[in-house]
Amino acid sequence: MKMIKKLATAAAAVLLSGALTSQALAEFPDDTITIVVPWPAGGAYDLSARLMAENPPENLPVSMIVTNVTGAAGSNGVRHVAQSDPDGYTIGMMGTHAIAQSYMNRNATPLEDIEPLVFIGPEPASLVVSNDTGIENVKQYLEQLKKQPGSIINGNDSPGGFSYIAATMLENHFDVKLSKVPYQGYAPTASALVSGEVMSTTLPIPLLAEQHKAGKVKIIGVAAEKRHPFAPDVPTFKEQGFDFIAEDFYMLYLPKGVPEDRRAKLEEGLYKLLSDEKFQKKAAELGLVIMPRDAAGTRAYLEQRNQEVKAILEDANLIEK
Amino acid sequence: MLTDFLAALGTTLLSPWGLVLAVIGTLLGILLGAMPGVSSTMALAILLPISFGMDPHLAILFLLTVFVASVYGGSVTAILINIPGTPGSIVTQLDGYPMARSGRAGQALTYALVSSTLGGLIGLVALVLVAPMLAAAAMEFRSPEFTAVAVFGLVLLAYASPGSTIRGMMVGGLGLLCGMVGFDKLTDIPRFTFDSTALQGGIELVPLCVGLFGFAEVLKNVGAAGRSSGKSVMPAIGKVWPPMKELLSHWKTMLRGSLIGAGVGAIPAAGSAIAVAIAYAQEMRFSKRPDKFGTGVSEGVVAPESANSSSIGGTLIPMMTLGIPGDAITAVLMGSLLIHGLRPGPGLFANNPEFVSGVYSSFFLALILTLIVGLLLMRWVAWVTRIPSHILMVVIAVLCVVGSFAIRNTMDDVYIMLAFGVIGYLLNLLRLPAAPLAFGLILGPLLEENLRRSLILGRGSWEIFINSPIALTLLLMSAAAILLPLLAPWFVRLRNDLRRTYR
Repeated sequence: MKMIKKLATAAAAVLLSGALTSQALAEFPDDTITIVVPWPAGGAYDLSARLMAENPPENLPVSMIVTNVTGAAGSNGVRHVAQSDPDGYTIGMMGTHAIAQSYMNRNATPLEDIEPLVFIGPEPASLVVSNDTGIENVKQYLEQLKKQPGSIINGNDSPGGFSYIAATMLENHFDVKLSKVPYQGYAPTASALVSGEVMSTTLPIPLLAEQHKAGKVKIIGVAAEKRHPFAPDVPTFKEQGFDFIAEDFYMLYLPKGVPEDRRAKLEEGLYKLLSDEKFQKKAAELGLVIMPRDAAGTRAYLEQRNQEVKAILEDANLIEK
Repeated sequence: MLTDFLAALGTTLLSPWGLVLAVIGTLLGILLGAMPGVSSTMALAILLPISFGMDPHLAILFLLTVFVASVYGGSVTAILINIPGTPGSIVTQLDGYPMARSGRAGQALTYALVSSTLGGLIGLVALVLVAPMLAAAAMEFRSPEFTAVAVFGLVLLAYASPGSTIRGMMVGGLGLLCGMVGFDKLTDIPRFTFDSTALQGGIELVPLCVGLFGFAEVLKNVGAAGRSSGKSVMPAIGKVWPPMKELLSHWKTMLRGSLIGAGVGAIPAAGSAIAVAIAYAQEMRFSKRPDKFGTGVSEGVVAPESANSSSIGGTLIPMMTLGIPGDAITAVLMGSLLIHGLRPGPGLFANNPEFVSGVYSSFFLALILTLIVGLLLMRWVAWVTRIPSHILMVVIAVLCVVGSFAIRNTMDDVYIMLAFGVIGYLLNLLRLPAAPLAFGLILGPLLEENLRRSLILGRGSWEIFINSPIALTLLLMSAAAILLPLLAPWFVRLRNDLRRTYR
């Protein structure tokens, strides 16, 4: 009797350990990876996520899908990822909005609760003016603001959004005053500029590049190190003698607590995909600038932007906590 | 222009893949559109990834057929089970469902299908011919004009609600309040959220509609379960073809609805839900029997159905000519064009004229296929209607939950849907109309955001509304619509007094 019991226990132990090791040995990933985008389908974030899902990295031979978890200025999506199982199968995408929300919204996810994975690329702001203003370059723009503070009506996001932060950075950097009018997102802001309701905007370039080419609006400066492929004729602020950079960014992140080997594998594969020339060419066709950084670089970048955005929000009296 | 169009159409028809894809797109569109909570936007978003691998012209053909068919699909459920499949069909059910209840489901569906097709064709003509003109006019719509549109819409809403105007306005006010929940549109400050994350995203139109019109229906049936003898809630399909003469006699209604749909659709951010609300209210004003609206009159189906289909052509106008998406649906469509390296805007017409005529011909094909597939599926739909109510109600409840979850992939929307299901049930018990709640939710945020922005732009002065001719006209029309019924008895009395005095 004892013997049988012993045998049974041994058999159970063998079975159990077998099951355990087979689970541990199963190569990560063996299931679908989800990229969570905090904005609705169709935007630039969404496009870059879908482009990545279309071309899964070589070392992650599983299908990748994109889910849009939207609402509350992007905080719903970030919270969704931060609270998901830290198994490496849920990756989030975020940008400046997540930093701003972490200060403005008591219910938003603090930045400490996420694990930076890879930086995808910057999305530089540009200064765009309507034709009625007659303004040709950044110098004239600033001169008019110095002469009559607040005389230029600028269309931008509501305070947590990137184009609001870019406009405020411009105000602080050049010590000028704009009349900032909020819109719900980039498309309404762009149409307000085209219709002449506002005189300038601080939007990313792809949205207004066609209008610029058609002569309906004028992009007068790119707030980045380099010119943008969609508007190669427009000089940067630096080329015009002003040292001003304002960029949104895309990065991928994980919830806290993903096992180190899985995290490293994701980082390696996605970084390699983003560095791939063919991928970058496809992204450029969509107007996306890809300049990947690894996890350490991403963490440093995020920290730097965090300080910048925090200072702006403090100035504007928007910090909730 | 016409030869380009025919050439593009010919290419599509002759390529076997093109036609197969178009038929698949139509089938998927009708099925997805008919699922409550899966809006046209969702249908497109779900199927968008499939189109990435296709040629650009096949991709847009596929997506346009899904789009057009889903708009009709949304009306099928609106008519048969009183649940709008898409926001564009929220009004169709007001008369479509009563028609179905009285055994004329087939006729209601045919009315919807025929007016959808004709409305869509008129929308297409608008897109092709008037695109540049309409686009220019739509761009005149700035914040003050949007404010005036919202005011005008709210006034029409008071008329559009079936039954007593006061009751409609009460519920409409509730809808306006619901529209304020969530992040303040201008300052990003959370309002009416009670510090709960569920309310921070605001109340989305689709979960509200699914709850109000779908889940409430389930509750109503559960409430009535003891009394009814398990009869099928889904009405018999009845005769499919209404008398041809009657169908044709609605041409004026179709034309009016289509023009309103194309016009409203062309205004960025207006969308099909507003188009149908205005078309319905307008039709009621023109009707000789406005008191019968909401009890199953065919005009009540024809007007919104021609409006929601023609608004497709309308929403494509700003997207194609200016590169500015008019609503969420066109934003998704734009995304698919971008994936293929085609950037909508003035440049598209100059650089890819063959693609533009491809869009026109795809749209045309989508309309025709929806008509054919819709007619073929109708009998099959009749079979679906024989599902016993206790099974159907479970299916509807499941679809309500799945549908509201699918919009943003959060449980929060499911809770909101359930809450509005209960509210819809209570409104029914109190004999209050539910539809104004949805209209209020659409128009409230539009009004608030644009009113406040107009005042910022006008630096605090209300003159900004007087200085805009479009806004002024709309506001005067709203004032007239409110005042005339109030003044009319007074005028009659005055006239009688005068007659008496000067007799």
